[in-house]
Amino acid sequence: MSFSFSQENSIKIASLLNRYPHKKALILPLLWFAQKQESYISEDAIGHISEFLDVPYMHIYSVVTFYTMFRLTKPQKRVIEVCATLSCELNGSEDIKAYLDENYSKDFEVIEVECMGACSGAPMCAIDGKYHENLTTKTIDEVLK
Amino acid sequence: MITKIVSKNFEIPDSHLIDVALANGRYSSLKSVFEKEPQELIDIIKQSGLRGKGGGGAATGNKWQIVSDWDGVKYVVVNADESEPGTFKDRRILSLDPHLLIEGIIATCYAVSSNISYIYVRGEYEEFSDVLQGAIDEAYEKNFLGVGAKYRVDITIHRGAGAYICGEKSALLESLEGNRGHPRLKPHSPEPEFYFNEPTLVNNVETIASVPFIIENGADAYRAYGTEKSPGTLLFGISGNVNKPGVYEAEFGISMLEFIEKVGGGVKKGKKLKAVIPGGASTPILPYEMLKDARLDYENLSALGSALGTGGMIVLGEDASMVKALKNLLRFYHHESCGQCTPCREGTSWSDKILDRFVAKKATTEDLEILKSVSNSMNGKTICVFAPAASGVIDGFLKHFEAEFLECIV
Repeated sequence: MSFSFSQENSIKIASLLNRYPHKKALILPLLWFAQKQESYISEDAIGHISEFLDVPYMHIYSVVTFYTMFRLTKPQKRVIEVCATLSCELNGSEDIKAYLDENYSKDFEVIEVECMGACSGAPMCAIDGKYHENLTTKTIDEVLK
Repeated sequence: MITKIVSKNFEIPDSHLIDVALANGRYSSLKSVFEKEPQELIDIIKQSGLRGKGGGGAATGNKWQIVSDWDGVKYVVVNADESEPGTFKDRRILSLDPHLLIEGIIATCYAVSSNISYIYVRGEYEEFSDVLQGAIDEAYEKNFLGVGAKYRVDITIHRGAGAYICGEKSALLESLEGNRGHPRLKPHSPEPEFYFNEPTLVNNVETIASVPFIIENGADAYRAYGTEKSPGTLLFGISGNVNKPGVYEAEFGISMLEFIEKVGGGVKKGKKLKAVIPGGASTPILPYEMLKDARLDYENLSALGSALGTGGMIVLGEDASMVKALKNLLRFYHHESCGQCTPCREGTSWSDKILDRFVAKKATTEDLEILKSVSNSMNGKTICVFAPAASGVIDGFLKHFEAEFLECIV
């Protein structure tokens, strides 16, 4: 299956082209567009970006694998990211993770992530990029209902 | 204890919208900016003693001077890759007063003769970055930015993708060029950073957001706050085992214990204070016994063997396990090591795995020796300060809380 950017994304990309001194700088923005479009970064998308920017496929692949937020596989379920770093752990993130695993792992992929910059709202999780802070088992149920 | 300079508009409803921002003084410093020559602005920033608020605390005016003096197309890059555990202040500026940041960027660009600015925002901050983008769009419409502006500045948000190390300025620039975020070797003489080989200024969000107040009110007005060597204010963060976690702006030099008690509401459930990690995870932990005279400024915390860092305090109460806390932090460093230097890539991994045995209470005396030796092997032997920071974290825990680690040895 070949990859191409949607018309909407192509317009956005065109407006970004003159924003950078070199096309190579567009690697991260284009990877984000690809991931938003397909929910992950396919080999075809990497190939397309490689041709579009005239940068070797292998370079783009090495960039994709460096950054935690880029995924090379299609998520089978919606993802819940639970912050597990110190301020969250001190405020019960382990219990939150256990509760999510027990009650929601059928429909969600529950993963632990490192500090999300929400330490004053610990414990917290992010779903579809949106932060949910000061979590309790009750608020989790409300959010996920 | 609270002093509001940067956070002045945080509590105003819809403060991120340009009409509200304009009604509350935003962009008013630009008149003073354009009345002056760029060099005058650099001199004011130097006189104000403004120090970088991303953790390092370097003199901002000197950085500006170096970029200004260097020939080439100049770039101003704003570091909004806030990822240091315990630090969550810049997101407040991005989402609650983005126009203050834009105003600061315009002044900074004018001062160093740059027309192009990038704001590198960590990937996780998507919703805050969207607010910032809305503010940038508004600033273009009102001709504060772009071709219609008095002084042309173009701002582009560049989204990171979940790599802590990209908060290190040279790694950030690598990332901004479309590479893996590998830090660069540091020069031996003063020089700017380089973006595609052109001279580049990299400043933290809060640093840039402090500029409008200084330009508008003068260096002395800023120096009226804080201490001689740490002038002004900082958005301190407080989290962990406290009653009122949050971001609170205060002058440098105030008492840490008073801040924790009065502003942070004290330790949860009336428990005793055990220790504080003073300025983000990478600053060595300090036990309660050492905090009696601790003050929140660069010099005082450095004299105590730690650092002010980002000012993001993580408070640990009497029930906190130091073994578990250190394991938590080493898991972080293991995950976030960029992998470029062997002592760091291997050292963070080894330490993380050894600490598993301490948490399971199945460690040996040799494990403790290896942990110390691995820590030593990471310190001062790598390209960037990530590994030395991890080493300092391990050493801090072992120095002040070794007894808890010894209890985990079978």
